[in-house]
Amino acid sequence: MAEEIGVHRSGLTMPVVTPRFVDNAWRRGCDFINLDLEDSVPQHMKGYARTLIKDAIANVTKGGAEAFTRINHDLVQADLEGIVWPGLSKVNYPKAEYPEEIEKLDRIISRLERERGIRPGTVEIGANIETSVGVANAYDIASASPRVKEFGGAGGYDMSRDLGVEMFVGFDQFVYGKGEVELAARALGLEPHTAPFTANTTGSVGDPDRAFREAEAARKCGFRVGGGLHPNVVEPQTRGFTPTQEEVAEAHQTLDQYRKLEVSGETWADIDGKIIDRYEAARARRLLEWSAACARRDQAKAEAVARVEAVGE
Amino acid sequence: MTTNTILPQKIRRSWLLVPASQKERSVTAAKSNADVVLLDLVEFVSDRDKPSAREGIAETVRELREGGAEVFVQVDSELLYADLHACVCPELTGIVIAHLESIAQIQEADTLLSQLEDERGILSGALEIVASLETAQANQDAFQIATASPRISGLTLGRAELVMDLRPEPSGEIHLMQYLMQRLITVAGAVGVQPYGAWCREPDRGLLATPENTSNAAIRGRAVGFKGSFCVLENQVEPLNSGFTPGAQEVDEASQLLKQYQAAVTEGAASIRIADRIFDAGASLQAQATIDRASKIAVHDQAKADAQAGRPVPAP
Repeated sequence: MAEEIGVHRSGLTMPVVTPRFVDNAWRRGCDFINLDLEDSVPQHMKGYARTLIKDAIANVTKGGAEAFTRINHDLVQADLEGIVWPGLSKVNYPKAEYPEEIEKLDRIISRLERERGIRPGTVEIGANIETSVGVANAYDIASASPRVKEFGGAGGYDMSRDLGVEMFVGFDQFVYGKGEVELAARALGLEPHTAPFTANTTGSVGDPDRAFREAEAARKCGFRVGGGLHPNVVEPQTRGFTPTQEEVAEAHQTLDQYRKLEVSGETWADIDGKIIDRYEAARARRLLEWSAACARRDQAKAEAVARVEAVGE
Repeated sequence: MTTNTILPQKIRRSWLLVPASQKERSVTAAKSNADVVLLDLVEFVSDRDKPSAREGIAETVRELREGGAEVFVQVDSELLYADLHACVCPELTGIVIAHLESIAQIQEADTLLSQLEDERGILSGALEIVASLETAQANQDAFQIATASPRISGLTLGRAELVMDLRPEPSGEIHLMQYLMQRLITVAGAVGVQPYGAWCREPDRGLLATPENTSNAAIRGRAVGFKGSFCVLENQVEPLNSGFTPGAQEVDEASQLLKQYQAAVTEGAASIRIADRIFDAGASLQAQATIDRASKIAVHDQAKADAQAGRPVPAP
């Protein structure tokens, strides 16, 4: 059986030390919850925060979401000891700069998986590019471990600060860095986790309309990975990254037309202003696979929520 | 490492793709005024038709060459042996390797071309390679690919946007293409080969565009450094030829500025101010390049017209 496609359309990053966020996370309908030990956790609470992860994993996944944890760049050993428990899907590693860092993460995670009865290779590594050094080493970082399955970054606050560029401008200030990262991801067959440019000059994180437009634009460019900070953007992202019924119907039609084309021996046809060729057929096949993966994910989440609610009654 | 510095910068503004399986198309292609006719064995020939398309392709190359265009054949990176054995002949200028995946494929093509040159009485090393970097891996390895053989005379993204499924962003720009174009042009410049392509926007798709949109894509393409581009339809040829040629007004202005600058230099100045512009050594080289390019194109167009009219073409 082919490996299941990862479905990470929507997700919330939240400080693991804030109980009201963590306790409500399972109700949000996210594909993943990213439990943060990094920027949203105050320095004096770093040690305490780590001890919360094991229980928080069980808590946030009961509605069917996957659990990720974002660790601190400079506290790798201690953070990993505290967080790699059954149920964790991914370790997000911020400000990745050198392949050796990823190799080290891989070694520690591999040991912890064995020690704690986790199937080897379960825990992914999210190697996030947030600095110029990271951009310069993007390909080597992305290829440093088979645990890296989605790869992206080269935008956001840390990147802005590192490069000394402004954050909320009306043009794409990260064309080169994002390009490097996306090309590396594509060359290695990883899921690229950048996005087409949509201006956000206000810095809004909770505008559902904007979140939908952004997700829809990203989906149309072939992206699948979302995530945010505000509950308002969860549903718009999930919807924006999911193919519409019209797109699914159109994909079926494209494949029908392509099958006829193949029989005719032609390589392309213009049907009512739409080109049909092997590229459109490949795109249609991918869209249908993705649509089916989204439907399976939605079904699994609905079942998980129903189970929790049944127990509660 | 080999860096190509001796290859003359040939005028190749328009590359008309003609399916090798459609012999009748090559007759009209000969009259299209394309700088290059690119006989295609990859994109527009189904697997079923490939064996018959290879038959007689060398004959088609010869016929097209008589019409004044240079002739390249687009070959499949995975079918190099069969494709090259079919098409190599003295009238062939070179090959475009489509869907290139690895440096090893360039080396394989180089070796095959050398053998075929020996066997078929072609000057050793004469056949060129244009590498079509359509996959992410090929673009990642662009520099190593571009230096893998001294035959490489050009780089293009080919149909990368379709191969990599890159689609329009809300701005109308094709996702990732600005980055990929600039990367390719930079690598081509570093290696000393010509970058081919155009700056397409929605709704242009995979080398197909209206004549007007083709013209705009060519003008933008020339502005970012491309030297010519590919097309599928004959009505795209003239928009490419004119889009990749400096306009008369542009050449005239460059000549005027250069004249004033040279006069000032003889007076001992290093730069002059004209209106709100500073014109210095760098700007004068740029103006000279525009003038040179335009005059090379004029000579090229005259030679092409002579060949089309059946007039004897002077030896280069």
